[in-house]
Amino acid sequence: MIYGSKRIFRYLLGTDIAGRSLAVYQDDTFIVSYPRSGNTWTRFLVANLLHPEEPTSFANIERLVPDSEAQSSRYLRRIPRPRVIKSHQYFDPRYKRVIYVVRDPRDVALSYYDFERKYRHIDDAYPLQNYASDFVSGRLSSADWGTWGENVGSWVSTRRGQKDFLLLRYEDMLENTMLEVAKIAAFFGMEATAERVRGAVERSSVQRMRGLEKLQGKDWVSTKNKRPDIPFVRTAASGHWISKLPKNSIAEIESAWGPLMAALGYELVTTQPGCGEPLQMLSSSVRSTLSRERI
Amino acid sequence: METFLLKRIIAGTKLAFGLHRPGRNLVVLPDDVFIVSYPKSGNTWTRFLIGNLIHPQSPVDFSNINLIIPDPEGLSKRQLARMPRPRYIKSHQYFDPRYPKIIYVVRDPRDVALSQYHFHRKRKLLQDGASVEQFVSRFVAGKTSPYASWGENVASWMATRSDRPGFLLLRYEDMVVNTTRELAEVAHFLGIQASKERLAQAVARSSAHEMRKLEEKQALLWSSTKETRQDVPFVRAAKPGGWKTELPEISVREIEGAWAGLMKSLGYQLCFDEEHARARYEESDAKLGRVLR
Repeated sequence: MIYGSKRIFRYLLGTDIAGRSLAVYQDDTFIVSYPRSGNTWTRFLVANLLHPEEPTSFANIERLVPDSEAQSSRYLRRIPRPRVIKSHQYFDPRYKRVIYVVRDPRDVALSYYDFERKYRHIDDAYPLQNYASDFVSGRLSSADWGTWGENVGSWVSTRRGQKDFLLLRYEDMLENTMLEVAKIAAFFGMEATAERVRGAVERSSVQRMRGLEKLQGKDWVSTKNKRPDIPFVRTAASGHWISKLPKNSIAEIESAWGPLMAALGYELVTTQPGCGEPLQMLSSSVRSTLSRERI
Repeated sequence: METFLLKRIIAGTKLAFGLHRPGRNLVVLPDDVFIVSYPKSGNTWTRFLIGNLIHPQSPVDFSNINLIIPDPEGLSKRQLARMPRPRYIKSHQYFDPRYPKIIYVVRDPRDVALSQYHFHRKRKLLQDGASVEQFVSRFVAGKTSPYASWGENVASWMATRSDRPGFLLLRYEDMVVNTTRELAEVAHFLGIQASKERLAQAVARSSAHEMRKLEEKQALLWSSTKETRQDVPFVRAAKPGGWKTELPEISVREIEGAWAGLMKSLGYQLCFDEEHARARYEESDAKLGRVLR
Protein backbone atom coordinates (compact mmCIF):
# COMPACT_ATOMS: atom_id res chain seq x y z
CA MET A 1 0.00 0.00 0.00
CA ILE A 2 2.24 2.82 -1.23
CA TYR A 3 0.63 6.18 -1.81
CA GLY A 4 2.12 8.26 -4.65
CA SER A 5 5.74 7.12 -4.48
CA LYS A 6 6.96 9.90 -6.79
CA ARG A 7 5.42 12.52 -4.54
CA ILE A 8 6.94 10.91 -1.46
CA PHE A 9 10.38 10.71 -3.06
CA ARG A 10 10.16 14.42 -3.84
CA TYR A 11 9.05 15.10 -0.27
CA LEU A 12 12.08 13.21 1.09
CA LEU A 13 14.45 15.28 -1.01
CA GLY A 14 12.60 18.51 -0.31
CA THR A 15 11.99 19.04 -4.01
CA ASP A 16 8.20 19.00 -3.59
CA ILE A 17 6.42 22.22 -4.56
CA ALA A 18 5.95 24.17 -1.32
CA GLY A 19 2.41 25.41 -1.94
CA ARG A 20 0.24 25.37 1.15
CA SER A 21 2.73 23.33 3.15
CA LEU A 22 5.38 26.04 2.86
CA ALA A 23 7.31 26.51 6.12
CA VAL A 24 6.42 30.08 7.10
CA TYR A 25 8.69 32.44 9.09
CA GLN A 26 7.46 35.26 11.29
CA ASP A 27 9.29 37.88 9.19
CA ASP A 28 7.94 36.71 5.81
CA THR A 29 5.86 39.12 3.76
CA PHE A 30 3.38 37.61 1.33
CA ILE A 31 2.07 39.08 -1.88
CA VAL A 32 -1.27 37.35 -2.14
CA SER A 33 -3.99 37.61 -4.74
CA TYR A 34 -6.37 35.50 -6.72
CA PRO A 35 -4.72 34.45 -10.01
CA ARG A 36 -4.93 37.00 -12.84
CA SER A 37 -5.28 39.94 -10.45
CA GLY A 38 -1.99 41.74 -10.96
CA ASN A 39 0.21 39.57 -8.74
CA THR A 40 3.14 39.39 -11.15
CA TRP A 41 3.06 43.15 -11.68
CA THR A 42 3.02 43.64 -7.91
CA ARG A 43 5.97 41.25 -7.56
CA PHE A 44 7.91 43.34 -10.09
CA LEU A 45 6.97 46.57 -8.33
CA VAL A 46 8.02 45.22 -4.92
CA ALA A 47 11.24 43.65 -6.21
CA ASN A 48 12.20 46.80 -8.09
CA LEU A 49 11.41 48.90 -5.03
CA LEU A 50 13.42 46.72 -2.63
CA HIS A 51 16.32 46.06 -5.04
CA PRO A 52 16.93 49.23 -7.06
CA GLU A 53 20.43 48.01 -7.91
CA GLU A 54 19.16 44.99 -9.83
CA PRO A 55 16.38 45.54 -12.40
CA THR A 56 13.74 42.83 -11.99
CA SER A 57 13.12 40.41 -14.84
CA PHE A 58 11.59 36.99 -15.35
CA ALA A 59 15.12 35.61 -14.93
CA ASN A 60 15.57 36.86 -11.34
CA ILE A 61 12.01 37.29 -10.03
CA GLU A 62 12.00 33.75 -8.58
CA ARG A 63 14.97 34.73 -6.44
CA LEU A 64 13.77 38.23 -5.48
CA VAL A 65 10.10 37.41 -4.84
CA PRO A 66 9.82 33.62 -5.20
CA ASP A 67 6.59 31.87 -6.09
CA SER A 68 5.54 29.47 -3.31
CA GLU A 69 3.38 27.57 -5.78
CA ALA A 70 6.16 27.02 -8.34
CA GLN A 71 9.26 26.54 -6.16
CA SER A 72 10.29 23.67 -3.92
CA SER A 73 10.35 23.60 -0.11
CA ARG A 74 14.14 23.35 -0.23
CA TYR A 75 14.54 26.27 -2.63
CA LEU A 76 12.34 28.50 -0.49
CA ARG A 77 14.17 27.50 2.69
CA ARG A 78 17.37 28.87 1.15
CA ILE A 79 16.01 32.29 0.23
CA PRO A 80 17.66 34.92 2.49
CA ARG A 81 15.36 36.39 5.15
CA PRO A 82 13.28 38.44 5.42
CA ARG A 83 11.61 36.82 2.43
CA VAL A 84 8.93 38.31 0.21
CA ILE A 85 6.86 35.46 -1.22
CA LYS A 86 4.20 35.27 -3.88
CA SER A 87 1.07 33.25 -3.14
CA HIS A 88 -2.44 32.64 -4.46
CA GLN A 89 -3.63 30.86 -1.31
CA TYR A 90 -6.94 31.57 0.34
CA PHE A 91 -6.71 32.52 4.01
CA ASP A 92 -3.75 31.02 5.83
CA PRO A 93 -3.42 32.18 9.45
CA ARG A 94 0.33 31.56 9.40
CA TYR A 95 0.87 34.41 6.97
CA LYS A 96 1.54 37.34 9.32
CA ARG A 97 2.32 40.15 6.86
CA VAL A 98 0.18 40.25 3.75
CA ILE A 99 -0.17 42.55 0.77
CA TYR A 100 -3.45 41.47 -0.80
CA VAL A 101 -4.21 42.57 -4.35
CA VAL A 102 -7.84 42.43 -5.42
CA ARG A 103 -9.23 42.97 -8.92
CA ASP A 104 -12.72 43.25 -10.35
CA PRO A 105 -13.80 39.59 -10.81
CA ARG A 106 -15.41 40.42 -14.15
CA ASP A 107 -11.96 41.36 -15.50
CA VAL A 108 -10.36 38.44 -13.68
CA ALA A 109 -12.71 36.03 -15.47
CA LEU A 110 -11.76 37.47 -18.84
CA SER A 111 -8.05 37.26 -18.10
CA TYR A 112 -8.32 33.78 -16.60
CA TYR A 113 -10.06 32.57 -19.77
CA ASP A 114 -6.98 33.51 -21.82
CA PHE A 115 -4.72 31.99 -19.18
CA GLU A 116 -6.57 28.65 -19.21
CA ARG A 117 -6.18 28.61 -23.01
CA LYS A 118 -2.48 29.48 -22.71
CA TYR A 119 -2.07 26.56 -20.29
CA ARG A 120 -4.04 24.29 -22.66
CA HIS A 121 -6.67 23.55 -20.00
CA ILE A 122 -9.35 24.55 -22.52
CA ASP A 123 -9.14 25.02 -26.27
CA ASP A 124 -9.89 28.13 -28.29
CA ALA A 125 -13.35 26.92 -29.24
CA TYR A 126 -14.46 26.70 -25.59
CA PRO A 127 -17.14 29.38 -25.14
CA LEU A 128 -16.31 32.28 -22.81
CA GLN A 129 -19.75 31.97 -21.27
CA ASN A 130 -19.07 28.35 -20.27
CA TYR A 131 -15.76 29.40 -18.82
CA ALA A 132 -17.43 32.14 -16.77
CA SER A 133 -19.65 29.45 -15.18
CA ASP A 134 -16.55 27.36 -14.43
CA PHE A 135 -14.99 30.44 -12.86
CA VAL A 136 -18.00 31.12 -10.63
CA SER A 137 -18.26 27.46 -9.55
CA GLY A 138 -14.53 27.13 -8.89
CA ARG A 139 -13.78 24.55 -11.59
CA LEU A 140 -10.58 24.20 -13.69
CA SER A 141 -7.58 25.99 -12.11
CA SER A 142 -9.87 27.74 -9.62
CA ALA A 143 -10.20 24.42 -7.77
CA ASP A 144 -6.78 25.03 -6.21
CA TRP A 145 -7.47 28.51 -4.88
CA GLY A 146 -11.15 28.51 -3.95
CA THR A 147 -13.47 30.71 -5.96
CA TRP A 148 -12.71 34.42 -6.38
CA GLY A 149 -15.29 35.20 -3.70
CA GLU A 150 -13.92 32.59 -1.31
CA ASN A 151 -10.32 33.68 -1.76
CA VAL A 152 -11.02 37.40 -1.42
CA GLY A 153 -13.71 36.93 1.26
CA SER A 154 -11.49 34.70 3.38
CA TRP A 155 -8.72 37.32 3.55
CA VAL A 156 -10.75 40.51 3.74
CA SER A 157 -13.07 39.16 6.43
CA THR A 158 -10.24 37.94 8.64
CA ARG A 159 -7.56 40.60 8.26
CA ARG A 160 -9.09 43.87 7.13
CA GLY A 161 -8.10 46.91 9.12
CA GLN A 162 -5.10 45.22 10.72
CA LYS A 163 -1.71 46.84 10.56
CA ASP A 164 0.02 43.87 8.91
CA PHE A 165 -2.53 43.69 6.09
CA LEU A 166 -2.32 45.99 3.08
CA LEU A 167 -5.27 45.78 0.73
CA LEU A 168 -4.60 47.10 -2.78
CA ARG A 169 -7.03 47.29 -5.65
CA TYR A 170 -5.55 46.54 -9.06
CA GLU A 171 -7.68 49.33 -10.51
CA ASP A 172 -6.19 51.88 -8.08
CA MET A 173 -2.72 50.62 -8.93
CA LEU A 174 -3.40 51.28 -12.62
CA GLU A 175 -4.84 54.70 -11.98
CA ASN A 176 -2.19 55.99 -9.62
CA THR A 177 0.70 53.56 -9.53
CA MET A 178 3.05 55.94 -7.68
CA LEU A 179 0.61 56.38 -4.80
CA GLU A 180 -0.04 52.67 -4.39
CA VAL A 181 3.67 51.86 -4.55
CA ALA A 182 4.27 54.52 -1.90
CA LYS A 183 1.79 52.59 0.29
CA ILE A 184 3.80 49.43 -0.34
CA ALA A 185 7.02 51.26 0.62
CA ALA A 186 5.39 52.45 3.85
CA PHE A 187 4.20 48.91 4.54
CA PHE A 188 7.82 47.74 4.33
CA GLY A 189 8.82 50.60 6.64
CA MET A 190 10.89 52.23 3.92
CA GLU A 191 11.61 55.93 3.63
CA ALA A 192 11.37 55.79 -0.14
CA THR A 193 12.11 58.90 -2.15
CA ALA A 194 9.89 59.83 -5.11
CA GLU A 195 12.80 58.89 -7.39
CA ARG A 196 13.05 55.44 -5.94
CA VAL A 197 9.29 54.87 -6.27
CA ARG A 198 9.30 56.25 -9.81
CA GLY A 199 12.24 54.03 -10.75
CA ALA A 200 10.39 50.95 -9.48
CA VAL A 201 7.25 51.92 -11.39
CA GLU A 202 9.18 52.51 -14.61
CA ARG A 203 11.12 49.27 -14.38
CA SER A 204 7.79 47.46 -13.91
CA SER A 205 5.95 49.11 -16.80
CA VAL A 206 3.78 46.95 -19.02
CA GLN A 207 5.99 47.78 -22.02
CA ARG A 208 9.11 46.59 -20.22
CA MET A 209 7.36 43.47 -18.89
CA ARG A 210 6.05 42.60 -22.38
CA GLY A 211 9.56 42.97 -23.79
CA LEU A 212 10.99 40.77 -21.04
CA GLU A 213 8.29 38.14 -21.62
CA LYS A 214 9.26 37.94 -25.31
CA LEU A 215 12.90 37.35 -24.36
CA GLN A 216 12.48 35.20 -21.26
CA GLY A 217 8.99 33.67 -21.49
CA LYS A 218 10.26 30.33 -22.75
CA ASP A 219 12.45 29.92 -19.64
CA TRP A 220 10.26 31.36 -16.84
CA VAL A 221 8.69 28.71 -14.63
CA SER A 222 5.14 30.04 -15.11
CA THR A 223 5.25 30.34 -18.91
CA LYS A 224 7.67 27.59 -19.93
CA ASN A 225 6.08 25.03 -22.29
CA LYS A 226 2.85 27.00 -22.42
CA ARG A 227 1.29 28.33 -25.62
CA PRO A 228 3.61 31.15 -26.80
CA ASP A 229 0.91 32.73 -29.01
CA ILE A 230 -1.13 33.87 -25.96
CA PRO A 231 0.79 36.41 -23.85
CA PHE A 232 1.08 36.12 -20.05
CA VAL A 233 1.35 39.91 -19.69
CA ARG A 234 -2.02 40.77 -21.15
CA THR A 235 -3.91 44.04 -21.54
CA ALA A 236 -2.90 45.50 -18.15
CA ALA A 237 -6.15 47.45 -18.20
CA SER A 238 -9.44 47.49 -16.34
CA GLY A 239 -13.04 47.46 -17.50
CA HIS A 240 -12.72 45.34 -20.62
CA TRP A 241 -15.47 43.11 -19.23
CA ILE A 242 -18.00 45.83 -20.12
CA SER A 243 -17.56 45.14 -23.83
CA LYS A 244 -16.13 41.61 -23.84
CA LEU A 245 -18.02 39.62 -21.21
CA PRO A 246 -21.48 38.22 -22.15
CA LYS A 247 -24.39 39.81 -20.24
CA ASN A 248 -25.33 36.45 -18.72
CA SER A 249 -21.83 35.98 -17.41
CA ILE A 250 -21.80 39.43 -15.84
CA ALA A 251 -25.10 38.60 -14.15
CA GLU A 252 -23.77 35.23 -12.99
CA ILE A 253 -20.67 36.78 -11.40
CA GLU A 254 -22.62 39.58 -9.76
CA SER A 255 -25.23 37.25 -8.37
CA ALA A 256 -22.51 35.02 -6.87
CA TRP A 257 -20.49 37.78 -5.20
CA GLY A 258 -22.55 40.99 -5.35
CA PRO A 259 -22.21 42.05 -1.71
CA LEU A 260 -18.46 41.41 -1.62
CA MET A 261 -17.93 43.23 -4.92
CA ALA A 262 -19.95 46.19 -3.70
CA ALA A 263 -17.98 46.27 -0.45
CA LEU A 264 -14.78 46.51 -2.48
CA GLY A 265 -16.14 49.37 -4.56
CA TYR A 266 -16.93 47.43 -7.74
CA GLU A 267 -20.16 48.83 -9.07
CA LEU A 268 -22.78 46.26 -10.00
CA VAL A 269 -24.65 46.61 -13.26
CA THR A 270 -27.31 43.93 -12.83
CA THR A 271 -29.92 44.74 -10.22
CA GLN A 272 -30.24 42.18 -7.50
CA PRO A 273 -31.54 41.72 -4.01
CA GLY A 274 -29.45 41.96 -0.88
CA CYS A 275 -26.54 44.14 -1.99
CA GLY A 276 -25.08 46.48 0.49
CA GLU A 277 -22.87 46.56 3.52
CA PRO A 278 -20.23 43.85 3.81
CA LEU A 279 -21.52 42.83 7.21
CA GLN A 280 -24.96 42.02 5.86
CA MET A 281 -23.19 39.23 4.08
CA LEU A 282 -22.01 37.94 7.42
CA SER A 283 -25.34 38.14 9.14
CA SER A 284 -27.92 36.57 6.88
CA SER A 285 -27.18 32.99 7.94
CA VAL A 286 -27.56 34.25 11.47
CA ARG A 287 -30.88 35.78 10.59
CA SER A 288 -32.03 32.35 9.49
CA THR A 289 -30.87 30.75 12.75
CA LEU A 290 -32.64 33.51 14.64
CA SER A 291 -35.82 33.05 12.62
CA ARG A 292 -35.96 29.43 13.76
CA GLU A 293 -36.68 30.72 17.22
CA ARG A 294 -40.10 31.90 16.11
CA ILE A 295 -41.13 28.47 14.86
CA MET B 1 20.61 19.57 6.83
CA GLU B 2 20.85 16.12 8.45
CA THR B 3 17.96 16.72 10.83
CA PHE B 4 15.91 18.13 7.94
CA LEU B 5 16.54 14.95 5.95
CA LEU B 6 15.95 12.65 8.93
CA LYS B 7 12.66 14.32 9.78
CA ARG B 8 11.59 14.02 6.17
CA ILE B 9 12.54 10.34 6.05
CA ILE B 10 10.44 9.55 9.13
CA ALA B 11 7.51 11.63 7.94
CA GLY B 12 7.94 10.30 4.39
CA THR B 13 7.78 6.67 5.57
CA LYS B 14 4.55 7.40 7.42
CA LEU B 15 3.23 9.14 4.32
CA ALA B 16 4.14 6.14 2.17
CA PHE B 17 2.05 3.77 4.26
CA GLY B 18 -0.78 6.18 5.02
CA LEU B 19 -0.01 6.02 8.75
CA HIS B 20 0.17 9.79 9.29
CA ARG B 21 -2.75 11.72 10.70
CA PRO B 22 -3.80 13.84 7.75
CA GLY B 23 -5.37 16.80 9.62
CA ARG B 24 -5.75 19.58 7.11
CA ASN B 25 -4.34 17.41 4.32
CA LEU B 26 -7.27 15.00 4.52
CA VAL B 27 -8.39 13.65 1.15
CA VAL B 28 -11.90 15.10 0.84
CA LEU B 29 -14.60 13.05 -0.90
CA PRO B 30 -17.55 14.66 -2.68
CA ASP B 31 -20.15 13.19 -0.29
CA ASP B 32 -18.33 14.09 2.95
CA VAL B 33 -20.15 16.06 5.62
CA PHE B 34 -18.04 18.16 7.98
CA ILE B 35 -18.90 19.20 11.52
CA VAL B 36 -16.76 22.29 11.88
CA SER B 37 -16.24 24.66 14.78
CA TYR B 38 -13.53 26.53 16.59
CA PRO B 39 -12.23 24.39 19.48
CA LYS B 40 -14.34 24.49 22.69
CA SER B 41 -17.49 25.52 20.87
CA GLY B 42 -19.63 22.43 21.35
CA ASN B 43 -18.11 20.27 18.62
CA THR B 44 -18.01 17.07 20.70
CA TRP B 45 -21.59 17.54 21.81
CA THR B 46 -22.62 18.07 18.18
CA ARG B 47 -20.74 14.91 17.21
CA PHE B 48 -22.65 12.97 19.87
CA LEU B 49 -25.98 14.44 18.75
CA ILE B 50 -25.37 13.64 15.09
CA GLY B 51 -23.83 10.24 15.82
CA ASN B 52 -26.85 9.31 17.94
CA LEU B 53 -29.17 10.66 15.26
CA ILE B 54 -27.56 8.60 12.50
CA HIS B 55 -27.15 5.42 14.55
CA PRO B 56 -30.23 5.09 16.77
CA GLN B 57 -29.49 1.38 17.30
CA SER B 58 -26.18 1.86 19.15
CA PRO B 59 -25.48 4.74 21.55
CA VAL B 60 -22.41 6.88 20.91
CA ASP B 61 -19.72 6.94 23.58
CA PHE B 62 -16.10 8.05 23.85
CA SER B 63 -14.82 4.65 22.71
CA ASN B 64 -16.70 4.61 19.40
CA ILE B 65 -17.07 8.33 18.56
CA ASN B 66 -13.91 8.33 16.42
CA LEU B 67 -15.32 5.49 14.31
CA ILE B 68 -18.71 7.14 13.87
CA ILE B 69 -17.63 10.77 13.43
CA PRO B 70 -13.87 10.55 12.82
CA ASP B 71 -11.33 13.22 13.68
CA PRO B 72 -8.64 13.67 10.95
CA GLU B 73 -6.26 14.80 13.72
CA GLY B 74 -6.83 11.54 15.60
CA LEU B 75 -7.00 8.82 12.92
CA SER B 76 -4.55 7.80 10.19
CA LYS B 77 -5.03 8.54 6.52
CA ARG B 78 -5.51 4.82 5.93
CA GLN B 79 -8.24 4.47 8.57
CA LEU B 80 -10.03 7.52 7.19
CA ALA B 81 -9.88 6.16 3.64
CA ARG B 82 -11.60 2.94 4.81
CA MET B 83 -14.56 4.61 6.53
CA PRO B 84 -18.03 3.76 5.24
CA ARG B 85 -19.52 6.55 3.13
CA PRO B 86 -20.95 9.09 3.38
CA ARG B 87 -18.41 10.07 6.04
CA TYR B 88 -19.32 12.51 8.81
CA ILE B 89 -16.07 14.17 9.81
CA LYS B 90 -15.13 16.40 12.72
CA SER B 91 -12.97 19.44 12.00
CA HIS B 92 -11.69 22.62 13.64
CA GLN B 93 -10.19 23.97 10.42
CA TYR B 94 -10.60 27.52 9.24
CA PHE B 95 -11.91 27.88 5.68
CA ASP B 96 -11.13 25.00 3.35
CA PRO B 97 -12.68 25.32 -0.12
CA ARG B 98 -12.76 21.54 -0.59
CA TYR B 99 -15.33 20.87 2.15
CA PRO B 100 -18.57 20.20 0.25
CA LYS B 101 -21.12 20.11 3.08
CA ILE B 102 -20.64 21.87 6.37
CA ILE B 103 -22.39 22.14 9.72
CA TYR B 104 -20.67 25.05 11.42
CA VAL B 105 -21.13 25.50 15.18
CA VAL B 106 -20.34 28.94 16.56
CA ARG B 107 -20.20 29.93 20.23
CA ASP B 108 -19.82 33.23 22.07
CA PRO B 109 -16.03 33.85 22.06
CA ARG B 110 -16.16 35.05 25.68
CA ASP B 111 -17.30 31.56 26.71
CA VAL B 112 -14.92 29.91 24.25
CA ALA B 113 -11.97 31.75 25.83
CA LEU B 114 -12.98 30.59 29.29
CA SER B 115 -13.51 27.03 28.18
CA GLN B 116 -10.17 26.94 26.40
CA TYR B 117 -8.47 28.30 29.51
CA HIS B 118 -9.77 25.33 31.50
CA PHE B 119 -9.00 22.91 28.67
CA HIS B 120 -5.41 24.14 28.61
CA ARG B 121 -5.22 23.48 32.36
CA LYS B 122 -6.49 19.97 31.66
CA ARG B 123 -3.84 19.48 28.98
CA LYS B 124 -1.15 20.83 31.37
CA LEU B 125 -0.40 23.73 29.04
CA LEU B 126 -1.42 26.11 31.85
CA GLN B 127 -0.94 25.80 35.59
CA ASP B 128 -3.82 26.18 38.02
CA GLY B 129 -4.15 29.85 38.90
CA ALA B 130 -2.49 31.02 35.66
CA SER B 131 -3.54 34.53 34.69
CA VAL B 132 -6.82 34.59 32.75
CA GLU B 133 -6.02 38.08 31.46
CA GLN B 134 -2.78 36.94 29.90
CA PHE B 135 -4.43 33.86 28.44
CA VAL B 136 -7.18 35.94 26.85
CA SER B 137 -4.63 38.27 25.24
CA ARG B 138 -2.97 35.28 23.63
CA PHE B 139 -6.39 33.88 22.72
CA VAL B 140 -7.34 37.08 20.93
CA ALA B 141 -4.02 37.08 19.07
CA GLY B 142 -4.72 33.52 17.88
CA LYS B 143 -1.71 32.15 19.78
CA THR B 144 -3.56 29.51 21.79
CA SER B 145 -4.70 27.38 18.87
CA PRO B 146 -3.36 26.08 15.56
CA TYR B 147 -6.75 26.81 13.98
CA ALA B 148 -6.24 30.61 13.73
CA SER B 149 -7.97 33.05 16.08
CA TRP B 150 -11.67 32.67 16.90
CA GLY B 151 -12.49 35.66 14.71
CA GLU B 152 -10.40 34.44 11.79
CA ASN B 153 -11.86 30.95 11.94
CA VAL B 154 -15.49 32.08 12.15
CA ALA B 155 -15.16 34.92 9.64
CA SER B 156 -13.31 32.77 7.11
CA TRP B 157 -16.32 30.43 6.93
CA MET B 158 -19.06 33.04 7.24
CA ALA B 159 -17.62 35.26 4.51
CA THR B 160 -17.21 32.40 2.08
CA ARG B 161 -20.07 30.00 2.73
CA SER B 162 -22.90 31.60 4.67
CA ASP B 163 -26.13 31.65 2.64
CA ARG B 164 -24.75 29.11 0.18
CA PRO B 165 -26.18 25.64 -0.29
CA GLY B 166 -24.37 23.03 1.78
CA PHE B 167 -23.77 25.27 4.79
CA LEU B 168 -25.72 25.10 8.04
CA LEU B 169 -24.89 27.52 10.83
CA LEU B 170 -25.71 26.52 14.40
CA ARG B 171 -25.22 28.67 17.46
CA TYR B 172 -24.19 26.73 20.54
CA GLU B 173 -26.43 28.96 22.63
CA ASP B 174 -29.50 28.06 20.52
CA MET B 175 -28.58 24.39 20.78
CA VAL B 176 -28.58 24.64 24.58
CA VAL B 177 -31.94 26.46 24.69
CA ASN B 178 -33.76 24.17 22.26
CA THR B 179 -31.68 21.13 21.42
CA THR B 180 -34.43 19.18 19.69
CA ARG B 181 -35.32 22.03 17.37
CA GLU B 182 -31.70 22.55 16.31
CA LEU B 183 -31.16 18.82 15.82
CA ALA B 184 -34.31 18.71 13.67
CA GLU B 185 -32.67 21.42 11.58
CA VAL B 186 -29.58 19.22 11.25
CA ALA B 187 -31.69 16.19 10.27
CA HIS B 188 -33.40 18.26 7.59
CA PHE B 189 -30.01 19.50 6.34
CA LEU B 190 -28.71 15.93 6.12
CA GLY B 191 -31.87 14.67 4.44
CA ILE B 192 -32.71 12.34 7.34
CA GLN B 193 -36.37 11.70 8.06
CA ALA B 194 -36.29 11.69 11.84
CA SER B 195 -39.35 11.08 13.98
CA LYS B 196 -39.90 13.06 17.21
CA GLU B 197 -38.95 9.94 19.18
CA ARG B 198 -35.71 9.47 17.28
CA LEU B 199 -34.75 13.12 17.82
CA ALA B 200 -35.65 12.94 21.51
CA GLN B 201 -33.61 9.78 21.95
CA ALA B 202 -30.54 11.34 20.29
CA VAL B 203 -30.87 14.42 22.50
CA ALA B 204 -31.26 12.33 25.68
CA ARG B 205 -28.29 10.12 24.82
CA SER B 206 -26.12 13.19 24.23
CA SER B 207 -27.10 15.18 27.34
CA ALA B 208 -24.36 16.74 29.46
CA HIS B 209 -25.38 14.35 32.25
CA GLU B 210 -24.92 11.29 30.00
CA MET B 211 -21.69 12.61 28.53
CA ARG B 212 -20.27 13.28 32.02
CA LYS B 213 -21.11 9.74 33.08
CA LEU B 214 -19.39 8.37 29.96
CA GLU B 215 -16.36 10.58 30.49
CA GLU B 216 -15.95 9.25 34.03
CA LYS B 217 -15.79 5.71 32.70
CA GLN B 218 -13.98 6.22 29.38
CA ALA B 219 -11.69 9.25 29.65
CA LEU B 220 -8.64 6.99 29.36
CA LEU B 221 -9.97 5.35 26.20
CA TRP B 222 -10.45 8.53 24.17
CA SER B 223 -7.55 10.12 22.27
CA SER B 224 -8.57 13.66 23.24
CA THR B 225 -8.56 13.01 27.00
CA LYS B 226 -6.34 10.03 27.74
CA GLU B 227 -3.08 11.90 28.31
CA THR B 228 -4.61 14.84 30.17
CA ARG B 229 -5.31 15.69 33.81
CA GLN B 230 -8.14 13.48 35.01
CA ASP B 231 -9.20 15.91 37.76
CA VAL B 232 -10.26 18.57 35.24
CA PRO B 233 -13.33 17.46 33.23
CA PHE B 234 -13.54 17.62 29.42
CA VAL B 235 -17.33 17.95 29.50
CA ARG B 236 -17.46 21.20 31.40
CA ALA B 237 -20.26 23.61 32.26
CA ALA B 238 -22.30 22.89 29.06
CA LYS B 239 -24.09 26.20 29.46
CA PRO B 240 -23.69 29.68 28.03
CA GLY B 241 -22.83 32.87 29.87
CA GLY B 242 -20.19 31.63 32.32
CA TRP B 243 -17.99 34.51 31.16
CA LYS B 244 -20.30 37.01 32.88
CA THR B 245 -19.10 35.92 36.29
CA GLU B 246 -15.74 34.31 35.54
CA LEU B 247 -14.08 36.51 32.93
CA PRO B 248 -12.37 39.73 34.13
CA GLU B 249 -13.80 42.94 32.68
CA ILE B 250 -10.54 43.76 30.94
CA SER B 251 -10.68 40.43 29.08
CA VAL B 252 -14.30 40.96 28.05
CA ARG B 253 -13.28 44.36 26.69
CA GLU B 254 -10.35 42.88 24.82
CA ILE B 255 -12.48 40.20 23.13
CA GLU B 256 -15.26 42.62 22.25
CA GLY B 257 -12.73 45.13 20.97
CA ALA B 258 -11.19 42.58 18.65
CA TRP B 259 -14.35 41.12 17.12
CA ALA B 260 -17.20 43.58 17.79
CA GLY B 261 -18.66 43.56 14.29
CA LEU B 262 -18.51 39.81 13.87
CA MET B 263 -19.96 39.14 17.33
CA LYS B 264 -22.85 41.52 16.76
CA SER B 265 -23.59 40.01 13.36
CA LEU B 266 -23.85 36.62 15.10
CA GLY B 267 -26.27 38.00 17.68
CA TYR B 268 -23.84 38.20 20.62
CA GLN B 269 -24.61 41.34 22.60
CA LEU B 270 -21.66 43.45 23.64
CA CYS B 271 -21.15 44.96 27.09
CA PHE B 272 -18.86 47.76 25.99
CA ASP B 273 -20.27 48.45 22.58
CA GLU B 274 -20.45 52.23 22.81
CA GLU B 275 -17.00 52.60 24.27
CA HIS B 276 -13.63 51.61 22.95
CA ALA B 277 -14.84 48.48 21.18
CA ARG B 278 -16.87 50.51 18.77
CA ALA B 279 -14.20 53.13 18.35
CA ARG B 280 -11.62 50.55 17.45
CA TYR B 281 -13.91 48.83 15.01
CA GLU B 282 -14.80 52.05 13.27
CA GLU B 283 -11.19 53.02 13.08
CA SER B 284 -10.44 49.80 11.22
CA ASP B 285 -13.49 50.32 9.04
CA ALA B 286 -12.41 53.84 8.19
CA LYS B 287 -9.04 52.49 7.20
CA LEU B 288 -10.72 50.04 4.84
CA GLY B 289 -12.92 52.86 3.60
CA ARG B 290 -9.87 54.92 2.78
CA VAL B 291 -8.35 52.11 0.81
CA LEU B 292 -11.60 51.45 -0.99
CA ARG B 293 -12.68 55.11 -1.20
